[in-house]
Amino acid sequence: MWGDLPGEGLTDADLAIREPPVILLPVEVLEGQTIPDTVVEFLAPADVIILGYHVLPEQTPTEQASMQFEDRAQEAVDDIAQSFIDAGGDPETRVVFTHDREQTIDRVATEVGATAILLPNPTGEISEVLVPIRGAIDGGRLADLVATLLAGGAGHVTLWGIAAGEGSEFDAESAVDRAAERLRGRGLPAEQITTETTTAMLQIHDIVDRSDEADIIVMGEGRESLLAVLLGEDAERVAEGAVAPVLVVRDRDPDTEVADADENTADADSHPDADDPE
Amino acid sequence: MTDYDGASATGSDVHAGETPPEITPPVDDEEATVTEAGTELERTIGLSGGISIGVGTMIGAGIFVFPGLAAGGAGPAAAASFGIGAVIALFVALPTSELATAMPKSGGGYYFISRALGALPGAVVGLSIWLGLVFATAFYLVGFGSYAAAVLAEAGVAVGSIPIVIPSALLFGVFLTALNLFGTENAAALQNYVVGLLLTILVFFLGYGGLDSLGVFGRASTPETFAPFGPLPVFTTAALVFTSYLGFAQVATVAGDIKRPGRNLPLAMVASVVIVGILYVATIFVATSAFGSETLASFGETAIVEVARSFVGTGGAIAILLAGLLATISSANASILSTSRAVFAVSKDEIIPRFASRMNLRYGTPHVALTMAGGPVLVLVAFGEVEVLAEVASFLHLVMYCLMCVALIVMRRDEPEWYDPAFRVPAHRVVAGLGAVASAGLILFMQPTSQIVGVAIMLASAGWYKYYASDVQLKGVL
Repeated sequence: MWGDLPGEGLTDADLAIREPPVILLPVEVLEGQTIPDTVVEFLAPADVIILGYHVLPEQTPTEQASMQFEDRAQEAVDDIAQSFIDAGGDPETRVVFTHDREQTIDRVATEVGATAILLPNPTGEISEVLVPIRGAIDGGRLADLVATLLAGGAGHVTLWGIAAGEGSEFDAESAVDRAAERLRGRGLPAEQITTETTTAMLQIHDIVDRSDEADIIVMGEGRESLLAVLLGEDAERVAEGAVAPVLVVRDRDPDTEVADADENTADADSHPDADDPE
Repeated sequence: MTDYDGASATGSDVHAGETPPEITPPVDDEEATVTEAGTELERTIGLSGGISIGVGTMIGAGIFVFPGLAAGGAGPAAAASFGIGAVIALFVALPTSELATAMPKSGGGYYFISRALGALPGAVVGLSIWLGLVFATAFYLVGFGSYAAAVLAEAGVAVGSIPIVIPSALLFGVFLTALNLFGTENAAALQNYVVGLLLTILVFFLGYGGLDSLGVFGRASTPETFAPFGPLPVFTTAALVFTSYLGFAQVATVAGDIKRPGRNLPLAMVASVVIVGILYVATIFVATSAFGSETLASFGETAIVEVARSFVGTGGAIAILLAGLLATISSANASILSTSRAVFAVSKDEIIPRFASRMNLRYGTPHVALTMAGGPVLVLVAFGEVEVLAEVASFLHLVMYCLMCVALIVMRRDEPEWYDPAFRVPAHRVVAGLGAVASAGLILFMQPTSQIVGVAIMLASAGWYKYYASDVQLKGVL
């Protein structure tokens, strides 16, 4: 969809963050998972919702677990929240006991209107952001997210278009150009943006391979496919293999699309991938 | 929503004999419950999961124990007896559904009765149902052992004089308990696979048998009068076979984990009674078409195996024995899970020490409650004599059913402010009244031994309550 529309014609309305990014931060608190300070610092400019969760086997009532561990879980989440407050943020917190991680993350993400979800991995100081673009990503949300997080800093973003190979309808070249233009439009200086394109069959594999060059990866959810059912969602697979944390840009929820349509008129291709010809 | 407080706050208040100052209406959401401290509890069991629990607990006896006995009692009209049993089960299932949608909490019958009728009846039901479930699980495990031995014998595996039944029952009991203690997702997955496979075998068997009795395969079926012994035995037989419907209320024990409880709880409970009822009626129809009721009666508890053998030979007999094996596995596993939840429910209210609801973080399982389920079961299996205990289990279940119906009538009469069920039983006095009377009536048909043991257990539970928890107030406390 990136290539469908002419890349020119940005209006003044583009020169601003449209939809302030809301980042959901799922943390398996009782397993001792924490968020590194560098990640806290990097995410602090956005609205952050810390979701402390604990997954239980089906034979354990969630109520039983909460009786015993609720305090400990709340404390751990409050500790993480405090680190965001110290970094100048104003995070919201949620604590959930569940049997099903996916269901919980999906539900909370929808309830809070999250535009991106962080899949944590260890990382150091964050200055290099890698954005693999394979066609399946909400361009508006991506631009809002990256521009907000890098605003006023010295961080650098690499927009990396990946075409699936010969005969692919996805025009990686114009997709990254369009993305770069949007970022510039939202106030990110051009020297902080690099664009490049490659052709790859094993996209996930290549992204994982390159993850050591980046401090954080920003990518789309990827579309539902048989492969995703068998191997897990694209972003989850990247997060598993990569050495950097992954920020997954969520597609717009179908029922909120109508409400968002107005503010998107000048930016038609920020619609979700339902319209993607691929 | 006052009962999620950690070990300290309201729990000790209740123990000190105070009723919480105000009763807030439940704010249960469709997808998650929110505790007092703001923690969310995700609801993850869907409609099919609920049905699988109900069907998995119930199915078994009506197909693998009763067809011969029932046909001997009522002839082909035994099918009607099973139908009557299903209707009585629905008279209890509907009130249970209403209570469960008004109080979608873990604990099932114990929870409703303690909130509607008070802590003493609640404690009696809660503690005796724990023992009742332990007895039932032991009975299922010994049944598993018998089927395992029969499969080996049928397959021609010579085992000489080595006893099989009790050792295999013990081994399997240990396996199931360990699976629930250490398995992450295995226990629930196992249950779904077992129930699915079992239903597949039964549908094939009943489908073939049904076509056969209609003469599709060119054999003469056995013509017989529908009710050769008159109408009265149809009802006494219904009392006998009602045991095969015990278990639908187990769906309510996971009420706290069911998605959209207002819709899914009543549907799951009613659907599992209906599904199981249809399978039972079809089984009797097929069995009495294959053999005359006298022949069936002479086969006794293995009648259905002989029916399968008459269709497709030894292969059929082995297939139906395997189905029996699966039925005992699913019933035993479902009962162990229910037992653990029953223990949790009474310990949360401090009817028994809070220690019993401890869980370990490493496996995330309630190890104390599961041990209190699996441990006594293994002891009982080792000492044998489980058949009497099975009837005692039925006795205790029927007492709970009867009191749940009473609880509904009381709730509707008092109608506390928070009482807002998503599902309301039409003509509730008639339905719940019939349910209560039928449940109490069935108790009278039981052997005196079971009645005496059952009453003794209830008295012992009441004694424990007086000794340990007499200051616990639960009536009307959400």
